[in-house]
Amino acid sequence: MSAASRRKFWRTAQAVVIVIAVAIMIIPIIWIFMAAFKSHVDVYQLKLLFKPTFSNFATVFASPYKLGDKLVNSTIVATTTVAIAIPVATLASYSFSRFRMRGETTMLVMILATQFVPAVVIVLPFFVMFRDVGLLDTRTGLVLVNLAIVMPFAIWMIKGFIDGIPIDTEEAAMVDGSTRLQVIRNIVLPMAAPGLITSGIFCFIIAWNEFLFALIITNKESVTLPIGLALFKAEEGDLWNLLSAAGIIIMLPMFVLALIIRRHFVQGMTMGAVR
Amino acid sequence: MRDNTLKYLLVLPAILVVFATAVWPLIQSFRFSLFQGRLTRPGFPQGFLGFENYVWALTEEPAFWNSVAVTAVYTVLTVGLTVALALGLALLLVPGGRFRMSVQTLLILPFAMSPALIGVSFRFMFNPEFGLFDAFFGLVIPPLADISWLSDPVLAFAVCVMADVWGWIPFLTLVLIGGLAAIPRDTIEAAQVDGASGWQVFRDVTIPQLLPVLAVVIILKSIFSLKTFDQIYMLTNGGPGTATQTLSHYVYFNGLKYGQLGYSAAVAWLMVIPMIFLTYAYAKLVFRRTQQ
Repeated sequence: MSAASRRKFWRTAQAVVIVIAVAIMIIPIIWIFMAAFKSHVDVYQLKLLFKPTFSNFATVFASPYKLGDKLVNSTIVATTTVAIAIPVATLASYSFSRFRMRGETTMLVMILATQFVPAVVIVLPFFVMFRDVGLLDTRTGLVLVNLAIVMPFAIWMIKGFIDGIPIDTEEAAMVDGSTRLQVIRNIVLPMAAPGLITSGIFCFIIAWNEFLFALIITNKESVTLPIGLALFKAEEGDLWNLLSAAGIIIMLPMFVLALIIRRHFVQGMTMGAVR
Repeated sequence: MRDNTLKYLLVLPAILVVFATAVWPLIQSFRFSLFQGRLTRPGFPQGFLGFENYVWALTEEPAFWNSVAVTAVYTVLTVGLTVALALGLALLLVPGGRFRMSVQTLLILPFAMSPALIGVSFRFMFNPEFGLFDAFFGLVIPPLADISWLSDPVLAFAVCVMADVWGWIPFLTLVLIGGLAAIPRDTIEAAQVDGASGWQVFRDVTIPQLLPVLAVVIILKSIFSLKTFDQIYMLTNGGPGTATQTLSHYVYFNGLKYGQLGYSAAVAWLMVIPMIFLTYAYAKLVFRRTQQ
């Protein structure tokens, strides 16, 4: 084989492998999308052609499933978690980025470490405390525990963004007589805004998909979407068309958000270890 | 206000939140682990036991050691498979171009999926009557046709590993693409000019330079594999029997289903020990990175 035809062979082989990999990755997702529009009978056959129906979506939102309530819970819990985490994390990240402090490394490592603690360790004391003070099965309780997983990501991610903002403008403003807080409000916040929004979206996805805390803390009133999936495990077996419809409602908004921030996803998840 | 005071005030709220939501529960869990703590009885926690819960787990509970074994094998398999396959895919995708770039964009999708939903999807895919993967495997490997995957201990475990690998490959691929793209082109070209084969370039130039990123990926994936809960809960719920019961699942079951909170807090703390080493290694990597 000549060098040119060998190179052509390799290029084709690579493309084939990539296409297969993408197929393995995408087909389960497509399959769920299709099942969501299939009628109860069609789900139980491997057919590609079927008469699409929207009735599954109508069913999951109707009684007894009432997925709308779970959608509201998920939205409120994730939004509140982000609304608390981002401002608190921004102040801390600014300080970590611009000043040297006593115990700074210890604090940063501690924040990083809390992310790696198994969630089951954290949830046991919260379960007992919430039981005593009546926060079990409340959205407030869920927001509190969600902060445990979201805060470390938020702090490390926002610190990365503020590290990337040149310090010169801030120094110039200080020379002109601005106070530190004015500098933060008038210079740093506007420049960091895209980064803050990115971090907020990232934390929203984490809080939205959170499962273990919600499984243990909630049982009726404040159940979130991922826990709501369990509703469709009926006695006669899993109701796959309804599960798929609920699955779409959970994942579609997250797909959109993930695509918006895709460039920063890696950085967020690895907490600055990879840029 | 002087910066010297202000800098600590700015950090304070975040430290308080982290303390209240992570450090306090960690300490409290440790306290529970020293007591007889039955949720169902009044006056929780009941009697002080010292380290008896730990001794009990380590010496009297085959179920504990079963979940240690399940978690260990699960972690080794998922980390090994995910990293190897992601590295392969990253090498294929790193040259760029419109086709490869659009594939990279698609890679973000599985990672935005909730792990619980991945568990549900895989149970769907492996249904013996109408599951897509079940049908596929039956076609390729006929002895596997119409097998009830999730009722066989080994196959159910294999499905759990597959679901995890499926969910993590895309993300790790993205991280590794970033790492590969950061390797200076000239070092690779110099080796090629010197007559090194493709494999030699990969082994002697690419891998050594990729090592820091590979280390991050391996540690991060190990941590998440050790903690695995969501998928397992939705996919097999630890079964059949306890064939896929990971440590997180074991803690959940004993603590919240059977109400043995003291005992399960002790097991949970035994899980923290390997995490301390992994976190230490990870933190070292992060700080070497930021000091460059």
